[in-house]
Amino acid sequence: MTTNNVVYTKKPQEARTNRHGLRVTVRVLFLTIFAWIITPNSPAQQNSVRFIDVNGETIAETPIQSQGEQIYLSVDAVRQVFDPVMTDQYNHPRKRLILKTKDQQIRLQMGHPTVGIDPSGLTHTLPTPPIIIAQQPMLPVAFFTQILPDFYNLEALYNPSLQRVQLRPKDTWAPAVIGNSPNWAIIIDPGHGGENDRGCESSTGLLEKDIVLALAKRLQRMSEEQGIKVYLTRQTDTKKTHFERIQVAKRNQGQLFLSLHCNASFSPHEKGIKIYLNNPKGQLRFPSNAQAALTGQRLKPLAQANFLKQSQDFAHALQTELNFLTEAPVELTELPLIALSEAYMPAVVLELGYLSNVEDLEKLSESEYIAGIAQAIVRAFQRHISAINPPVQSTELEQEQ
Amino acid sequence: MVIWGTTLVLIAFGLGVTLYLIERSKQPGVPTAPPPLPIAANPSDIPPPPQEVNLFLLDTTAPTLVPVKTELRLHAELTKRLSQIITALIQETPPNFRNTIPRGTVLNQAYIDSQQTAYLDFSNHLIDGHIGGTTAELLTITAILKTVFDAFPEEIKQVQILIDGEEVRTLAGHLNLSQPLHLPQ
Repeated sequence: MTTNNVVYTKKPQEARTNRHGLRVTVRVLFLTIFAWIITPNSPAQQNSVRFIDVNGETIAETPIQSQGEQIYLSVDAVRQVFDPVMTDQYNHPRKRLILKTKDQQIRLQMGHPTVGIDPSGLTHTLPTPPIIIAQQPMLPVAFFTQILPDFYNLEALYNPSLQRVQLRPKDTWAPAVIGNSPNWAIIIDPGHGGENDRGCESSTGLLEKDIVLALAKRLQRMSEEQGIKVYLTRQTDTKKTHFERIQVAKRNQGQLFLSLHCNASFSPHEKGIKIYLNNPKGQLRFPSNAQAALTGQRLKPLAQANFLKQSQDFAHALQTELNFLTEAPVELTELPLIALSEAYMPAVVLELGYLSNVEDLEKLSESEYIAGIAQAIVRAFQRHISAINPPVQSTELEQEQ
Repeated sequence: MVIWGTTLVLIAFGLGVTLYLIERSKQPGVPTAPPPLPIAANPSDIPPPPQEVNLFLLDTTAPTLVPVKTELRLHAELTKRLSQIITALIQETPPNFRNTIPRGTVLNQAYIDSQQTAYLDFSNHLIDGHIGGTTAELLTITAILKTVFDAFPEEIKQVQILIDGEEVRTLAGHLNLSQPLHLPQ
């Protein structure tokens, strides 16, 4: 939090000031309504697609052409993003495009969704066919996310709302954990719960405790499909003490603790996903005198801090995955946190968005956005587990056998 | 003729009285004198002169905590001065700023121990009236800490939050308030 110097000197209250205040309030109200009317409800559609790498760095930003809801990129985009030496041949009368790349030829027919690959003879079907715009062949975005990455041993994720494509080596998303780390247990803690601890509440009545529970259940299902065992600290809308939550983690020998929350602020402008780590020497600090560390009670937060490095590693994995979904980079803050204070394992608090912000509220109400967050979290689990238990190579397995 | 003359005089008189009353109503009223200060029993009871104090409030447009100056007649005694400043922080909300302490919160008591730890005992509204969320909780605590350390840079080293006389683990379920807190330099 930065500090600016603003000077406000308190004046004696007078009736005239009150009348002036009323006029100012009415003016501000009118201006607010006017600003609300002229402000677009959704971010302006960009006229380019940004290709980013695994760390969120931009590879290329290429212009697009829109036709209805579909977006198309030029042949040049293939050269910019994938292969600078790729050559193309377009037959105008036949409306046929041939791309020559990596000893292979890709055949496309304008207006037809089938893509032919030579010399293998394989064919793929695009959800949207390539078309001609202004006499030029244009390729649908699916060609860049479903066909081309295979040629370069890459995988692609497309975020249509941000018009962003993330490319990364195929191995990154390989389900390396299946059969490799059968004892891995992740604890997901849906924050708050019960009638007396509803967490934050939006102006529309959306409750933090419900959002995080739904996401936790979805994460459990998706993670277990990937071979990762997940335990939830609560399965229903019930109140759980901090002690009971930590007991679930200990009983199931959890190796990673993820506490899910929704954020709120006094300012309606604050928005975005945030990640918090438990660090008693973070943005707020506990005293570091020796006397404080002598009692058992005060040793507990220090003990959790032994996992700070591993928690930071997981937080960075989460940050990288979530950056793909957000306009601004996801912030990471270290604070003394009660929710993680006695979790003796790597632990992170994930704040999914601000229920006090209109844009975040809209996103958190969309099942598609929640699904995107869930996928990003599962990928972060895989990335974290793979870093700790690197996948065993097949040759090593054969040697062992 | 006489009747007409009398009538005209009466009309003119009536108009004059009306205009006089209208003009008089436009003049500002007699300013009300400020309430008299209590009569000092001895020279030490004379109220001190007002001093400028920074209260940290949320600039909603930024949105960050900013120091907002106010004038207070601060007591000579350290603990009472601390109470005065925190009470002002709770009550102060000038236009364009948001107070990060829930409305209705009362400072029950404040004291400072020999370790330079300030204990601020708030009413339970600080918890019950809080909007929740890690950011909001952090803003509430940071506003209190910044206000205290700005006013008492030498006298207070850390702050322990109490609710109705008891230590609490958290305000809204995120920050750990079980120990005294300070801010990084």
